[in-house]
Amino acid sequence: MTSLTTGLKGRSELGVSLLLGAAGVLVFLDANGLVTPYSKSDPVGPKTVPFIVAGMLVVCAVLLAINVLRGGKGEAEGGEDVDLAHPADWKTILPLAGAFVANILLIDWAGWVISGTVLFWGSVLALGSRHFVRDGLISVALSLLTFYGFYLGLGIALPAGLLEGIL
Amino acid sequence: MTVVVGYVPTPEGEAALTQAITEARKNNSTLVLINSSKGESTVDNRFAPEGEIQDIEQRLASQGIQYLIKRPVRGHDAAAEVLDAAEEHKADLIVIGLRRRTPVGKLIMGSTSQRILLEADCPVLAVKAG
Amino acid sequence: MDVWSSLMDGFATALTPMNFLYAVIGVILGTAVGVLPGLGPAMTVALLLPVTYALEPTSAFIMFAGIYYGGMYGGSTTSILLNTPGESSSVVTAIEGNKMAKAGRAAQALATAAIGSFVAGTIGTALLAVCAPIVVKFAVSLGAPSYFAIMVLALLAVTAVLGSSRLRGFASLGLGLAIGLVGMDSVTGQRRLTFGQPLLADGLDIVVVAVAIFAVGEALWVAAHLRRTPLHAIPVGQPWMGKSDWKRSWKPWLRGTAFGFPFGALPAGGAEIPTFLSYVTEKRLSKNPEEFGNGAIEGVAGPEAANNAAAAGTLTPMLALGLPTNATAAVMLAAFTSYGIQPGPQLFTSEGPLVWALIASLFIGNLLLLIINLPLAPMWAKLLQLPRPYLYAGILFFATLGAYSVNLQAFDLVILLVLGALGFMMRRFGLPVLPLILGVILGPRIEGQLRKTLQLSAGDPAGLFGEPIAVGIYVIIALILLWPFAYKLFRRNRPVAAPAGKAESGGAAALARDADDTVHSNHSAVYSDHKEQP
Repeated sequence: MTSLTTGLKGRSELGVSLLLGAAGVLVFLDANGLVTPYSKSDPVGPKTVPFIVAGMLVVCAVLLAINVLRGGKGEAEGGEDVDLAHPADWKTILPLAGAFVANILLIDWAGWVISGTVLFWGSVLALGSRHFVRDGLISVALSLLTFYGFYLGLGIALPAGLLEGIL
Repeated sequence: MTVVVGYVPTPEGEAALTQAITEARKNNSTLVLINSSKGESTVDNRFAPEGEIQDIEQRLASQGIQYLIKRPVRGHDAAAEVLDAAEEHKADLIVIGLRRRTPVGKLIMGSTSQRILLEADCPVLAVKAG
Repeated sequence: MDVWSSLMDGFATALTPMNFLYAVIGVILGTAVGVLPGLGPAMTVALLLPVTYALEPTSAFIMFAGIYYGGMYGGSTTSILLNTPGESSSVVTAIEGNKMAKAGRAAQALATAAIGSFVAGTIGTALLAVCAPIVVKFAVSLGAPSYFAIMVLALLAVTAVLGSSRLRGFASLGLGLAIGLVGMDSVTGQRRLTFGQPLLADGLDIVVVAVAIFAVGEALWVAAHLRRTPLHAIPVGQPWMGKSDWKRSWKPWLRGTAFGFPFGALPAGGAEIPTFLSYVTEKRLSKNPEEFGNGAIEGVAGPEAANNAAAAGTLTPMLALGLPTNATAAVMLAAFTSYGIQPGPQLFTSEGPLVWALIASLFIGNLLLLIINLPLAPMWAKLLQLPRPYLYAGILFFATLGAYSVNLQAFDLVILLVLGALGFMMRRFGLPVLPLILGVILGPRIEGQLRKTLQLSAGDPAGLFGEPIAVGIYVIIALILLWPFAYKLFRRNRPVAAPAGKAESGGAAALARDADDTVHSNHSAVYSDHKEQP
């Protein structure tokens, strides 16, 4: 079982390699499409640095793949609040991401007050808080406060969306 | 026979533990000690430090008491954990420590002891510190 | 003296009620953030970057600097009272500080940390005020080739020296450079990496990138791995020190400062090495070395001073050359960019009053921090009981709010999510975050300097080596890149190399790494003379 898990983990880091390689190729192809008449005032041209970066990414991708296949491992970042003994807690992350996406979808047409409430409420729920009513009230309060605060204090008008006219 | 005690590292919790030991020795019961935390914050001072738990283990062992120490951290509040344990181990007695609260304190904060007193299926012994 | 009069003008600006208020806000925020787990000054400044669009630059930077210094103070409170500290520069403080706290001497530990931080911060800031103009005078004489070389050195130093895996550091740097490429090429105006999306034509806003990588990525990562077992905070009264504690502390304070400032100022110096060095030195020089490992006050005084002096040191290249040497400095640099202020040697001439006001407010901030940390430390410790759902939800909330308010575009939030996911992935697979953010910030500037260099030399690559400084720096770069290979060869030839020497230099890296690996057991391989029960 351990060798399988390590094998899988090794493979997941290969995903990083893949990402790096894909990024490198992407940068290369995009830069390739640029038009570069030779100009005395700009001998380097807009293509050079992208090519260098692309090359760097591809080289890193290959070296990383080799490193991973040989058993090397990137150390996951630790911290005060982090417990690395358990694998990633998807039951927390996915709802969090969901709350985030909901906000993105809602913010322009439903307005910040609503989308911000959804965001905060969803996040605390995802993170395990069980005080539903209290959390809902805090979410609404935060969204309202920041809505007015940003407008009055910083001059930034967040979208009022559905509540246009009321606020 | 089982005695469940809700423990916190405070004088009230100490008093509850002492009382629970006395009760357990009366009938040669097993003592189930619950010290839980919701695990919501980085620091929870009601969750006893490791060293203290070891001291308690030694104390119980030296008195010849059969014990089981459980320290659940799963987002439930203390009352729920104590009641759960009482149900699971078919407790004959629950021992808890009572904190003196001001009238306003009683109003604002939910009372763990109150919930346990009201919802337990078995007798509950509430002890004050000192 | 010119420095003196500029500094006095700076004080005049920094002491206006508005700016003083921002200093207060900054230090309070910084301390809170330093105490709280999962946050850090870099993330906080990143989260606050959006307000730079509404605040005066002077006020904003005064606040950021307060946050930066405050983070150091807050961090030491946590590392003394808890048994698992976070930031690697607080690890060393925790070794002795936590032991002192367990032995009932938490008040003294906190006091020596706070006062030492004040001493070091003040001296460090004074050194900053003196050294920065000198560096600037030297740097202004540099031309594009040398400047290009210095920036490459800074990038490489951070990538290749810090962190346990250079390969991953370079990968991270590559990604950062790629992100920096998105948008219009400054010289020819052509669009790069925009994939036909008009919203990307202006490039990825550095604020959004910083918030995504630092705040969202961190929040997602911690949310995925929330520590389950709560920790116990050692209760403490008001910090104070007895006479003998003072006597034992003052020299370590000064020595720590001497260690911290130079290392902070070097690219890739950081704060881990000087704190470690300070600890080892204090242990060697102590009259009671056996106390070390059981709560020796020198072991707290020295490293804490080193920590804060390093923070001041880091600001020297940041302000004088526009080179960041740690994450917080990098984010502050992003703030400069978002104001349209060009960081670099000309900063002192073009934005002189701003810079001197900033330096003056650092002095003020230090004093404020001492005042709020000494009597209020127990109160700050209470912050640790804040339920985490609110903390991390709050981070995501404010990150979203901040990123959105930059352009009032929902698209920026999509970028936030994507880059946040990238930040998460990087933390999962051990890719260091600093090279990426440096790549994003410095990449466009490096490219600019490169093109300028070759433009001046009319396309001749020899132009890169046109200035002697540039050549010298390339030599250093070559050394840095070739060092590990040379080291391996060296070791193969001399297998019985001096173990003490190796342990010293390897110890710092081991200590830093151990800090991450052994968050739970709180012991390090280097100090095997004390075994800790987790």
